[in-house]
Amino acid sequence: MNDISISRRFFLQTAAFASTASIAGTYPGISLAADGKTLRVRFNRDPESFDPGYYVGGHPNNDVNWLTMPALVHYGMRNGQPTWVPSPFVEHVTVRDATNIDFELKKGLMWTNGFGEVTTEDVAYSYARMTTSDWKNDYATFSHVEVTGSHTGTIVLSEPFSPFMNTTLASGTGIIVSKAATESVGGRFTTEVPASCGPYVYEMKQGQYVRLTRNPDWQGDMPYFDVIEGLIVTEDESAALAFEAGELDCAQVSSNSLARYSAELPPNSRLTVAGALQYMWLGMNTEHPKLQDIRIRKAIQRAVDQASVIAGAYSGTAEPSYGVVSPGLTGRRTSAGYAFDPEAARALVDEAGASGLELTLKTLNNQERVLSATIIQANLADIGINVTVMPVDAGPFWEMGQESKGDGWKDLELWIMRYGSGPDPYEPFQWFVRDQVGIWNWERWSSDEFEDLFAMGVMETDPSKRAEIYFRMQEIMEDTGAYVWLTHEPEVFVHRSDLSVQLAPSGEMQLTYFADV
Amino acid sequence: MLLYIVKRIGLSALIIFFAVLTLFALLNSIPGDPASIALGPRATPEVQAAYAEKMHLDKPIVIRFLIFAGNVVRGDLGSDVFTNRSVSHTLLEQLPYTLTLAAAALAWATLLGIPIGCLSAIRPNSWLDRLTGVISIGTIAIPSFLVSIWSILVFAIFLGWLPVIGAGDDGDIVDQLRHLILPAFAVGLGWVGYLARMVRASMLEVLGENYVRSARAFGLMNRTVVFRYALRVAILPTITLIGIGFGVLLSGTVFAEIIFSRPGLGKIIYDMVLARNFPVVQGAVLVTVALYVCVTLIADITVSLLDPRVRENL
Repeated sequence: MNDISISRRFFLQTAAFASTASIAGTYPGISLAADGKTLRVRFNRDPESFDPGYYVGGHPNNDVNWLTMPALVHYGMRNGQPTWVPSPFVEHVTVRDATNIDFELKKGLMWTNGFGEVTTEDVAYSYARMTTSDWKNDYATFSHVEVTGSHTGTIVLSEPFSPFMNTTLASGTGIIVSKAATESVGGRFTTEVPASCGPYVYEMKQGQYVRLTRNPDWQGDMPYFDVIEGLIVTEDESAALAFEAGELDCAQVSSNSLARYSAELPPNSRLTVAGALQYMWLGMNTEHPKLQDIRIRKAIQRAVDQASVIAGAYSGTAEPSYGVVSPGLTGRRTSAGYAFDPEAARALVDEAGASGLELTLKTLNNQERVLSATIIQANLADIGINVTVMPVDAGPFWEMGQESKGDGWKDLELWIMRYGSGPDPYEPFQWFVRDQVGIWNWERWSSDEFEDLFAMGVMETDPSKRAEIYFRMQEIMEDTGAYVWLTHEPEVFVHRSDLSVQLAPSGEMQLTYFADV
Repeated sequence: MLLYIVKRIGLSALIIFFAVLTLFALLNSIPGDPASIALGPRATPEVQAAYAEKMHLDKPIVIRFLIFAGNVVRGDLGSDVFTNRSVSHTLLEQLPYTLTLAAAALAWATLLGIPIGCLSAIRPNSWLDRLTGVISIGTIAIPSFLVSIWSILVFAIFLGWLPVIGAGDDGDIVDQLRHLILPAFAVGLGWVGYLARMVRASMLEVLGENYVRSARAFGLMNRTVVFRYALRVAILPTITLIGIGFGVLLSGTVFAEIIFSRPGLGKIIYDMVLARNFPVVQGAVLVTVALYVCVTLIADITVSLLDPRVRENL
């Protein structure tokens, strides 16, 4: 996945996926096991829960779950593009049509702790419980699993849901749990998993490590490493030093370390980019009296020098953003509908009679964002808008635009925001629909056309038509004047150059497929 | 003596009570809704409500404090927001690492700092005194995080002698000791200077006393006078400093634990603050405060045993 130019036309369940994805053709190769091989990777925090219904998600929870729990599909590569592929737990997964997905589990895969074999009943139970879980949005149109045999079944959706394969099933929320074991602990669990099934079993010590060793009862193909140690290293710079000292084989790096490594890599090292699914923008409250005039908002759009933000705050390591759809996803734009043009911005400010306008820009109190805010402050000073930068801690920051938390949203003027996305373009748009005004749509606008397009985009299975929908939705957002697109920060890993790595587009390590080369 | 100990224990209990009160007030004065802060921005209202109920956030603050204080008295520090693990259990796992690091740091600092202080005091204003003075002030002035990073660069990356992260394999003492060296060096370095300066000042005062001059007049060897008579008296303020130092190091290990990714109370406080896991944070801070108070208490009692004038002053 190095030097990815991610463009995923194949990314979603489409008619193109209607044919059976046979394991032989698409399964990411598991290297043959080698004795005594230990892999040491960085986990940036302790896993807090492995329950797919009630966990935070992301790294390192998914990294561990993919090694110890069954799933129908994993992320892999097809024709050079990251997409879903059948997992080592299935004979096949077939997208029959837009609402029916057939699957057959491998036989003889046993749950630990005596909970028997993995069956279709477990799959049906796992997905049904997700519809009432914290992650129920991923299962918005899931209807049921039709059990056609002990190891075969069909997932039935009430309506087409384009992100279902690549977001719902391939991400951590598609993990299958043991029905009997989960019910035996009251229906949910955290880090003490009642039964697991995978090539590895784990033990963990808080603040130190998650150690994965081979599962003696695993009947499937054996991954390359005997032992995988996820060492908990919370500090980015410590992780970089540990990698340079040879104590880690693979570690995610910060933008600081990335800038350093981009100039000069440590010997025998390589950088691999997983994806850039974060999107950051400068937001404006369209209902604030100072910003109700769209000419002022459009002036701000044209006054902010995106290139300076990327160079100054991110050392040139972030991707430029042209909308909410991240690089590699259907609907990613190649340019914004406006350009950096201080002259035009100044003219708009003069036309609106807003020269000398005083605004407050709020941002999370971290290095990159405060630097970004300072650059924007200088840009806006050039067009006669005086900005006060106000760094805010996480607690109050995330409440600034929420109506349920008081009247603070009424005073909100400008802010720098960054959201994360899964590997499907529907995800970022969900935060800007009408229902989200005063929740996560802090810009406080709505549009009938946008609402209609959002509903269409989720159900559309043709990638090119879907791309058109998302292009238009980003245009609508941009035309409100409430957004200045800033960056997509990449998820980058440094690793031994003789280590083959496979990363999920959302930034987790797919350790099953790591091997020495 | 017994009265002194009872008074000191009473004072310590009072300090811990006010520490609990302050800690509770601070955690409750953090801006923002605690449920939102703890669970993150995307938590559903249902999940936030369940959290609020579990953490008694729906009750008045006085009731919450009484519940919290009552639980502390019973030794129940609550449970981890995310994993539901007992906070006491988590802290008991982490505590030995912090105690070991603080003890190792103070031990090597003491073993080096006291002789340096004595050497300086024996030959005041000599080149040796000036050299040790510069070294002592230098070690005090260098921040421990800087020592940590430079020691990693030199001993782990350039020389490759010592490991950077973790605490070593369970059951492998040699490995654990190797993992202890750099953090203990980084944490203890500043205390070498403190102890050396304290011993020097104390020794200079004692060496000017009449009984020292008398001992010398009787023809006792200088080594005997210094180490057998003078140091014994001069060490008293140093014992207090070591006691306080151990308490300070319990919280001062935080930088080393973070930089070396070493388990311990400091690292868990840092990690849990980032995760907004406040039950663990308040439990860990409380344990640190209690340890600090206990260690200071032990140091005070030790000094009072050695010097009766101290217990008369309380």
